[in-house]
Amino acid sequence: MRHTVLRLIMILAIWAAPARAQEVLLTLTGAVTDGRVDITRADLAALPQHGYATSTSVSDGRPRFDGVLMRDLLALAGAKGESVRARALNDYVFDIPISDFHRYDVLAALTMNGAPLTARDKGPVWIVYPRDDHPELADIRYDMRWVWQLVALHVE
Amino acid sequence: MTGLRARYLWPGGLVLVCLGLLGLAAGQLVALERQIRVSATENMIWIFGQTQAEALNLALALSGDADPQAIQTRFDLLLSRLTLLEQGPQRRFLEAAGLSEPLSGLRADLLRVDPLAGTPPEVLQAHVTSLIATLRGNASLVMAHDWQTQAARLDRLGHLHRLALAAVIGAAIAGLTLSAILIDREKRLMRARLDRLRSDQLASDLTREREQSENHRQFADLLAHQLRTPLAVIDSAMHRLTRGGKPAPPDLVAEKAAVTREAVARLVHLTDTALLMSRLDSDAITPRLRDHDLRELADAVIADVRRAPPRDSDPSRIVLSQALTPAIARCDPTLTAEILTNLLRNALLYTPPASPIEVELKQTISHVTCRIADHGPGMTPGCLARAFDRFARGEGHGNVPGSGLGLTLARHLARLQGGDVTLAPRAGGGLLATISLPAGNES
Repeated sequence: MRHTVLRLIMILAIWAAPARAQEVLLTLTGAVTDGRVDITRADLAALPQHGYATSTSVSDGRPRFDGVLMRDLLALAGAKGESVRARALNDYVFDIPISDFHRYDVLAALTMNGAPLTARDKGPVWIVYPRDDHPELADIRYDMRWVWQLVALHVE
Repeated sequence: MTGLRARYLWPGGLVLVCLGLLGLAAGQLVALERQIRVSATENMIWIFGQTQAEALNLALALSGDADPQAIQTRFDLLLSRLTLLEQGPQRRFLEAAGLSEPLSGLRADLLRVDPLAGTPPEVLQAHVTSLIATLRGNASLVMAHDWQTQAARLDRLGHLHRLALAAVIGAAIAGLTLSAILIDREKRLMRARLDRLRSDQLASDLTREREQSENHRQFADLLAHQLRTPLAVIDSAMHRLTRGGKPAPPDLVAEKAAVTREAVARLVHLTDTALLMSRLDSDAITPRLRDHDLRELADAVIADVRRAPPRDSDPSRIVLSQALTPAIARCDPTLTAEILTNLLRNALLYTPPASPIEVELKQTISHVTCRIADHGPGMTPGCLARAFDRFARGEGHGNVPGSGLGLTLARHLARLQGGDVTLAPRAGGGLLATISLPAGNES
């Protein structure tokens, strides 16, 4: 039912002025409220915003990332589980323990250096770890959890 | 100075070498740890493979009748992979592999055929086909360079590892050498210390031996001298008795017999003293300490002295003051009697004929003392200081028989029993000899 409504809203959004705000960025499934939660850009904007600069393993310098905390995102969806299977636009999947999001300020980043992330780079959502604040995060095991072009999270 | 410098140069140098090598090893290990870290950039084969896969996915979408939205998504994904290849670490990898030239501008070229900008699908398809060919042509080179990099990194790791190992082995050798040097030095030091102790022992033995030999010589001299007088007396008496060829009258025989016996007594006393002294010298005397009443002992000794006084002396001059309590001392009665006899005979010999000699017993908490006070000429401070030395004879006593051993012996015997003998001037003239002995348990 809700799904249909969202679809309707999406279709309407093409015509309406706040179309971008109602665009569904992430789909959460599994152990979340009603088994499926669609997160729109507006939902993300309503959450507390966080950001920091950090080095990454695939680029130079320390770009600044802004977005929402993964733990806030999961709380919004009423997620109850041990880990999430993150899926990217290109079907890249990776399992991330939810404890990471409580131990570190892991971001669901929407902008890099102020510019919105797009599918042509690593957007619309990039999971970002505070790599410079915790030495143990500068490691291949954590670099692999920086899932970019994130579109779905399956909570288990 | 050079010896001293060499002494510290070697161990100091070894310590420095040891520390230096350990520092080197630590440095190598830190470098090793850094090298071991794998970063995602090094996963270039995967990144490049993903780019190829996205190009193929786009070509697939274009060849079928996929909707424009799906084609756009595939296009965006391929573009993001090309963007990734042009970013810092990946770009540097391609430059190092010599691939930046053939792969440069791929992203910009693709942007030129963006379907959003209305590029016809055929044009896009042709572009993607040529892009796939370019990527495929370079994939093996990427892989080759990736493995080359990995192998070089492994080589560096091996090199660092060997260096660290060599440094540790070097440090161990330096450490072992250092300990060997220190142990050797310690051994030599110990040996030198032992040698010194032994030579000190030898030197002190020699001094002791010399002293003893000198003592013996003096003793022999003195003994010979002291023996002469009684022997001469005996000889003269015998001569007198046998002179003229006729039997001597009984009164003369009695007189000469008395003189002879007195001379023999002196000889016996002399030999007794010499024997005792010799036993003392060889530590052959072990005092048998028991509780005894010093008063009874003093009584007995005074009686003995009265029975056999030194020549020309009047033993009735000895007065024992009447103490009410018994004075119990822990002592060996034979040795104590010897001391008392000695002191009393001295007092008799060295004081004017009619002067009194007072004997007095006293008791303190820890000691019992017996004081013998005379009214003689006393002793000069110099004489007092040397009185207990061996063979020291008072001034002006050349004609009085004496061995010069009496006081030495007395003090020795007193100390053997935990007591002492002291001499002091008596208030009002004369000498005060004091023998003190530890108080007995019964008192």
